[in-house]
Amino acid sequence: MYRYDEFDENLVRQRARQFRGQVERRLSGELPEEHFKPLRLQNGVYLQLHAYMLRVAIPYGQLDGRKLRGLADIADRYDKRYGHFTTRQNIQFNWIRLEDMPEVLDRLADVGMHAIQTSGNCIRNVTSDPFAGAAADEVEDPRPWCEIIRQWSTFHPEFSHLPRKFKIAVSGGGHDRAAIRVHDIGLDLRRNSDGEIGFEVVCGGGLGRTPHVGVTVRDWISKPELLSYLEAIMRVYNRHGRRDNKYKARIKILVNELGEATFRSLVEEEFAAQNEREKVILPLAEVDRIEAYFAPPAFDAAPAASPTLDEARRLNGDLDRWARHNLRSHKAPGYTSILVSLKPLGAAPGDATSDQMRAMADIADRFAGGDIRVAHEQDLVLTHVRLEDVPAVFAALQTAGLATANGGMITDIIACPGLDYCNLANARSISVANSIQAAFSDPDLEDMIGPLHLNISGCINACGHHHVGHIGILGVDKKGEEFYQVLFGGRADERAAIGEIAGPGLKHEDIAPALKRVVQRYLSLRSSPEETFIDALERLGQAPFREALYAAS
Amino acid sequence: MPLLRHGRVSSCSRIFSDSGFGDAAASDVIVTLRSFLDDRSSTASRRDDVAVRLRPEDDPRLLANDLDAVSLIEVEFPKYTDGRGYSIAQLLRRRYGYTRELRAVGQVLRDQLSLMRRSGFDAVVFDHPDAEGVYAEAVGELSSAYQGAADDAVSIFLRRRPGASPGGLT
Amino acid sequence: MSSERPKLGPDIPKVITGWNSRTGRVIYLTADRDWSESLADASVMTGDQAQEALRFASTDQVRVSDPYFMQVTQDGRISGRETLRETIRAQGPTNHPMFGKQAGDL
Ligand code: SF4
Repeated sequence: MYRYDEFDENLVRQRARQFRGQVERRLSGELPEEHFKPLRLQNGVYLQLHAYMLRVAIPYGQLDGRKLRGLADIADRYDKRYGHFTTRQNIQFNWIRLEDMPEVLDRLADVGMHAIQTSGNCIRNVTSDPFAGAAADEVEDPRPWCEIIRQWSTFHPEFSHLPRKFKIAVSGGGHDRAAIRVHDIGLDLRRNSDGEIGFEVVCGGGLGRTPHVGVTVRDWISKPELLSYLEAIMRVYNRHGRRDNKYKARIKILVNELGEATFRSLVEEEFAAQNEREKVILPLAEVDRIEAYFAPPAFDAAPAASPTLDEARRLNGDLDRWARHNLRSHKAPGYTSILVSLKPLGAAPGDATSDQMRAMADIADRFAGGDIRVAHEQDLVLTHVRLEDVPAVFAALQTAGLATANGGMITDIIACPGLDYCNLANARSISVANSIQAAFSDPDLEDMIGPLHLNISGCINACGHHHVGHIGILGVDKKGEEFYQVLFGGRADERAAIGEIAGPGLKHEDIAPALKRVVQRYLSLRSSPEETFIDALERLGQAPFREALYAAS
Repeated sequence: MPLLRHGRVSSCSRIFSDSGFGDAAASDVIVTLRSFLDDRSSTASRRDDVAVRLRPEDDPRLLANDLDAVSLIEVEFPKYTDGRGYSIAQLLRRRYGYTRELRAVGQVLRDQLSLMRRSGFDAVVFDHPDAEGVYAEAVGELSSAYQGAADDAVSIFLRRRPGASPGGLT
Repeated sequence: MSSERPKLGPDIPKVITGWNSRTGRVIYLTADRDWSESLADASVMTGDQAQEALRFASTDQVRVSDPYFMQVTQDGRISGRETLRETIRAQGPTNHPMFGKQAGDL
């Protein structure tokens, strides 16, 4: 894991001091709220329904025990003993006072963290695959490049007042677990025909009001040229992105209005015009230095299967079921990655208490080399765990209430905070998620259903990624009443697709029963138990599912 | 409103004219890009000490071949959240090699001053009773930078590797 | 980005609400131009009086952020199309009955 050197440390400290001054000027009346707002946003401070909210950056979802304990301490001291992990791999605290913010930033800095650029019209926290460095299918670990991009984009003087927010995601080249095609820029590590590793550059994806799957602007760019190429894209966007209408200001609209070809030629022209003074120079030794932090741990030579684990699974049905849903393959034989679900029945998806954070930190330190990730599914990941240790990890997770056996299943719901917290919401998300979880709480039923991604957003801003759920749910407001539109067929992986709205919205209480009918329909229509929901949907089209959705009305 | 050059209160007697040079001497006015370009194509074009004000949507490339004639470029920030002026400044400084006064005007606020300086502005029209003091404080808040820009800061990437060849990674 | 609240006609009874700038807590404007965390203390207004109060509130930046009109009944109960939102603001998240004002956490 990357560790700050004196430069990083110094900047984060100076930034905390700078924000302290801004808060003081706001509270003394010197700085009007209108001018303070963009400043606080660039530091992750929102004003939500009940209170200020602080969004803390977890660059590319990477945590360790020390950081997670630091977050737990903040939750205890300044918040209500919990935090909320988001679809952008960050964490949000819901109840922090503005006057406490500077102190919180100091405490974050103590554990190598910050809230820089977690909101506002700037380059946001870069996201990645939570299994990076462990996945067997990756071309290369994307995290060093995430860190390089984090540094390059931090306080970038030219790109701090973009037309709109800007999100970059990097994937390691295997399965896309970072949803790169629905980001403003998605990068995918890949080899060119000479076998050299570089990046495919995808641009113009995004969700929100007008969802788009991104287009490839460059099949391949070399590592040394990456940052300069990113600068070219950013400059084209900064100069030409629309500023007259915030709903049309994202880069996806620019790409779409100009057309893919014109946009690409603007970027290529800009890139070609850069002179030597303009190129971003990244010394090779510096890349090596950063890469070294992400070197894989020394894995013990272990057999690919663990008789201990197999035996324990045979004896413990709960462990067996959890292992079936929450273990993920690992590149090293004898190891596994573990998805730690933050979606127990009846809780807010993505919430973790401070006690759970500390428990995770302890478990990670003991069994996983301290490596913890946040997944965009709002779950946590223990990246490198020996198969031998899985029974012990399971027991420890159970004690902490973190052993929900639903990884990737219908109750592992992605849901934004919605109207229970969010100032922009039209409808609640959490309570809908909870009603769906309750409807599918029978483990045998859930096992039978198999993988199914269900995503919920409380408004069109789509923080809950509803467009890319196999089933998506969008809260809307109809004359003061909450309604929910259902979408079918979205996906966030390398075959990214935007879900289609099935029809008129349903009432809050009708959503769970309607989805039960949809799932029953799937179970009766699937060609075999191996055919997943999304596969069946793609084979059969929306019609039978839509029909089931509205069957009662 | 105070004009700061390199952080010091200074003065400038030019006035902005949106109707071109008229009878004024080049050194008395600041003209729009349009007027400047019209003047260039006229036979008696002004060759010296010209000042131009760019709007955010203006393309600084149109000035690139005539920078010898220009001694002041103002870049307008109609709203402080409109970040196009930063790109204009970087282009003028780093791509087109403009070395004379580059001045930010419009909604110039304290918390953008350091971005402006890094982007190549050596002058700002900035309203504050203690403009010099506030400027100095604002541009001194962050002592290092990850990325090179149009100021003289060396990027942290390079500062970590003082011996690295300037050719960088390539 | 702040969300836009629905426009309320001059005759609709309303109170002014916003957030305590220092703490972020939900507050309401009282008759003596003070701010209270309790909706019961809020001043119910209409017409010019309400407009005038909103002008005052927008200049009272040190104490309040983003003040706006919230629709109520004559006797000051939350009403209108934002009833659910304003009830959640007044009481706390519906999924966490132990948090927010509903928990007596004033
Ligand atoms: S999707 Fe809408 S309701 Fe949900 S968190 Fe985002 S802005 Fe708020």
